[in-house]
Order: sequence, then structure tokens, then C-alpha cells
Amino acid sequence: MEIRFHGRGGQGAVTGTRILATALYYEGKFTQGIPMYGTERRGAPVVSFLRIGEQRINERDLVHEPDMVIVLDPLLGKSVPITDGLKKGGIVLINHPHKGRETGLGGDFKVATVDATNIALDTIGRPITNTAILGAFAKVTGSVSLESIEKAINDQWSGRIAEMNINAVRKAYEEANMPEDVSDLPPQKVEVKPGERDVSSWRVFRPELDKEKCIGCKRCYILCPEVAIGMVDGKADINYPYCKGCGICVEECPVKAIEFVQETL
Amino acid sequence: MAKKFEVMVGNKAVAYAAKLARVKYVSAFPITPQTTIVQYLADMMASGELDAEYVTMEGELSCQASAITASTTVRSFTATSGPGLLYMHHPMHMTSWARLPLVMAVVHRSTKGMQPDQMDTMSQRDTGWLMLECQNSQELLDTGIMSFKIAEDPRVRLPLIFAGDGYILSYTSEPVEIPAQEEVDAFLPPYKRPYPMYPEEAEEARALMSEMWNPFVDPQKVWADQQQAAMNAKTVIKEVNAEFEKWFGRSYGNGLVEEYKCEDVDAVLVSMGTIASTAKTAIDQMQKNGKKIGLVAIKSFKPFPDEEFQRIAGYAKAMGVIDRNVSTGTRGGITFTEIRHALYDVDERPVTLNFHAGMRGKEVRVEDLKRMAEKTLKAANGEKVSPIVEWA
Repeated sequence: MEIRFHGRGGQGAVTGTRILATALYYEGKFTQGIPMYGTERRGAPVVSFLRIGEQRINERDLVHEPDMVIVLDPLLGKSVPITDGLKKGGIVLINHPHKGRETGLGGDFKVATVDATNIALDTIGRPITNTAILGAFAKVTGSVSLESIEKAINDQWSGRIAEMNINAVRKAYEEANMPEDVSDLPPQKVEVKPGERDVSSWRVFRPELDKEKCIGCKRCYILCPEVAIGMVDGKADINYPYCKGCGICVEECPVKAIEFVQETL
Repeated sequence: MAKKFEVMVGNKAVAYAAKLARVKYVSAFPITPQTTIVQYLADMMASGELDAEYVTMEGELSCQASAITASTTVRSFTATSGPGLLYMHHPMHMTSWARLPLVMAVVHRSTKGMQPDQMDTMSQRDTGWLMLECQNSQELLDTGIMSFKIAEDPRVRLPLIFAGDGYILSYTSEPVEIPAQEEVDAFLPPYKRPYPMYPEEAEEARALMSEMWNPFVDPQKVWADQQQAAMNAKTVIKEVNAEFEKWFGRSYGNGLVEEYKCEDVDAVLVSMGTIASTAKTAIDQMQKNGKKIGLVAIKSFKPFPDEEFQRIAGYAKAMGVIDRNVSTGTRGGITFTEIRHALYDVDERPVTLNFHAGMRGKEVRVEDLKRMAEKTLKAANGEKVSPIVEWA
């Protein structure tokens, strides 16, 4: 079996792949977890692969026709062709608040979902969705037990961090939605082409400016690392396509004129 | 004894090899994709698992230089990648001249980018170091342990590089068996200083010292001796590989080459490192369809297994050599040139084809290898194929 992971830098796709490789090894499988390294940074689309076999896996190329695609971010499909090469009848497991047929994905495959972002925010306090998605993987595929995943998490971390991640796994196992057939739905279109600068889909939280409160001090304008804030009529002005939702402006505003609001789907 | 496995990345397997060999000195300078090797080693030392001296140098040149000094007295280790290895080039000649059994891990990184190819080690081809190549993380760990035994053998006493592809091995996690420390200790005896540290040791080392510095000795002798030692290494590598099999139940071909499914074949693919690993899958699929082609994976590049290829020429009518390297201005890749050189002494020479593949990390897929295998089989069947050397 071959799996492709899609995520964003910071969501832990690489660590998630390694934890699942370890958990499946505890189930008696031989695994190969392949991360792709390049110029990754927080928020940028990343990909990694997992091969599962009965004995040592000799192939050292990448996975091109996965049996399953695991997507750690609900909006990634807008900038990355996440279902490319997926085998007919394969499964997409995506971090999404709605059920499979309401994700906007369509094609000759099934879609399972889990609201990993909110589970991670509840249990870990940060939108790091890699461990939550593994809980859903256990439920959807039935190929790995929760015990093996928890054992693999304890190999990776200890103490409070391990505990929080194990809670995320358990909650996701409870809340995951089983695969739904989407073969009658139209395929999702990739809207943002590589090289374009629209990074709206990278945000989990969105800064919202109260113009009444803004005193025009330019602090956010100077500190925004993405130059997504301009000045219009002496007040800050957020250019959303350029905003990755890092929250520096929220932190730095001396009069608390910028609020951080979770994006909804 | 219960076997201990861990799902780990290739770099961790390398760090384990150094730890199990009980190295006493590690000098390193971090460079992607080698960095985590020295991070893991630093962790092992900080936690007290490994009793060794760790020195972060200001660059690779001084890394090699300090490891030279250290290895005169204790078992030493260093690791690097791509441009870092190029920066070591100058003192590397010194290491082999002083006949120091220093072991270095190289995580392949292109000299023209971040992704892997063999141009880093191939650029050190004539520094007098032995060079072994690995296909997976288990092989990295095992080869690391064997490397110390090979390099320190009194018949060899040469520095040694063991290498694996960056990214493809360095960051990929897979289950690796960790041998028990007591068994490694029994397999690999404690380091024997090649130079005297105390006056009473001076007598036995004097011979080597005087040859090195005596102006009346033939100036070429240093290379003649190194050459003899490298040729001796062929025997030593085979012995160590067989002994490793006895202790740990794993071996890699005969230590010099691994012939994979080569019974009753007309042709062979030849490669090194992870391309050879992927080629095993291609060969499995080809043989399932009745195609008579096997694989020869080169495990030891230095010393080069001439005799093995002369023997393989006895059953293979064609060899398709896949090189993750190039020697610009020479026709074909570097192992291709070496193989043709070895085959010159054979009466009935097989057809030899060459494919440059996987340079700067260009992906080599199973399909690509099957196409190369088809071309090689055509040549084995007496068809005229061209070009002889191609960029795959």
C-alpha cells in the first residue's frame, strides 16, 4: 500500500509520516516514510510519502500512484492537485469540518473527513493537525490500532506533549467521518497556480482591523513580514491575498485594533 | 538475544554505527543533508550513551585535519556531504599518506545543488581512500561497523568512506535492526594505535615512520604501498563481510559486489547505491515477465572489483551500467569507464552500455530502469543499439 501526505509547513506532515511508519511497524509491517525536502517554510505546501509492505521495500523512487491520499489542510486542494494519480476507488482522508461529499472534492474515489484543525486547537492548543489525522486514519482504514499509534507517539515525545497528541488521536478516532463516494461529483479545480502570490488559503486565523480604533502608528505596516499591510488615509489596510495569518500585527498593535478570527469553511 | 529494531532515518543509522564502534573522537561541521548525523551523535554524548570527544570545527578542512591527528591515537569519525567533502580534499591526501584508518560517512549531495549524486565522492576518487556504497539504512549501519574493521586491518590501514544518498536515505525512515553492543565489541576489537604514544610502543611503529620521512626511500613508494594496501583490501572486505554474516546474519553480496537474481540471465544492469535498490524492483518485475536480466550492485567502488566483473562477463552478454556521476571529457560515467577497463583483459567481452541517471537528485523510477533493462537485453540478443552512452 502506498500513501501520499499533503500538508503545509508546520502542520507536521513529515513527523506524522514517521509516527505512522513506526505504528505500522508495530503492527508487523515493513514501512518506508519518505519526506520531501526543499525550501519548505511554515504554511507552504509540502508533501511526503509512506510505503507499507510485508518485507524490506527496495523501491527508492517517489510514490506516483497512491492508494490513499491524506490531506492535513482543508484548503490545500485549491493550490495543489491533491488527487493526482490516486488509484481508482482510492481514499482521500482530509482535514475538513464537513462530511466527504461537502468537501468540494469529486472523482473516482471516496472521501473521509475529520475536523483535525479544531481537534488540534482543543487538545494541543495549536493547529498542528498531524496526530489528529492519524486517529482518523486508524478508524477509516482499520489497518493500525490506536495502541500502536500511541506507542509510536510515546517514542517521538514524552510527558505533556505526548499526552496532548494522544488525546488528539483519540478524539479524532471518535469524530472521524467514514468515506463517502464522490464519483458523481465534479473534480476540484486548482485555482491558485504555482508561482502566484495568493496565500489566503495558508491562513487558519485571519486578522481583522477595527479602523475606528486604528491610530495610524504604522507599527503593523512596518512589521508585517509579507508586506500585506498598506496605509490608506492614515489608517492600516490589510491586503488579504498576501496575508498568511501569522498574527504578528495582532501581537504588535499597541491599541489592540486588530483581532484574530478563525477562518471558517 | 532478542532483536532490537527501531524505525529510524538513514542519518540515525550512521550515528548508531559510530556509537556501536565506540568512536572516541568526532570532529564535524554541519552541512545538509549530513547535519542530523552529528546532532544524533551530540545527543548520544550529552546523554552519556557514548563516551567520546566531540569538536565542532570552523570548517571541513580543519575537521579532516583534526581527525587526522586524533586518529593517530584513538578511533575517530567524521561525516560530511557534497561541497563539505570538496573542502576536505586537501587534507584527505594526507590521511591516506599517513596510512590512518579514519572512517568517514558521506551523505551524497551534488556538487551542483542540494539533491544527491555521487559527484562529491567521485571528486575524491584518487585521494587514496577506500569507498563503500550503501543501498538502505540497515546497510548504512552495518557498513559503518564493518568499515572500522576493514580500515584498521593491518593489511589495509587506509582511510575509508562509506556513503549513502542524501534525502533518499538520510531522511527516509524505515525499520533498522540495532546490533547488541556486546556482539559489536566481540566483532570489532579495540582500536590499535597506528603511531606510538609511549616510548615502549615506538619500536613497532618505527618502520612505518621512517619510510614516510626517510629521504633515501623511493619517493613513489608511498603510492606503491597504498596501492598494495588497497588491493589487499579486496580480500579483507570479503573476509569482514563473511564474518559480519556469521555474527549478525546479514551480508552484502561478497562484500565487493552483490549479484541479485543473476542465475540464468543473458544480461545485467549494474549500479551503485539507491539506484541499485530501486533496480531490484525493476528486475523482479522483468523476471516475472520472463526477461533474463539480473542486477549487479557495486558495493565497493575503491578497491574496484575488477575480478568480479571479469567473472560476470562469463555469463552476461551485455551490461547496462547506470552511473549517478559523470567524468566530463571522458566517454561515459566513472563506473562505466572502470568496468570497461576491467573487461579489456577478457577474451569475450560483453556489450557495455552506459546511462547517466539520477544526477542532482533527478528521480530514477522503476519504469526508467525497466527501459534501460530492455535496451540492455536488446544488445545481449545481438541487436545494434545506440547511443552507447545516454543521458537517461
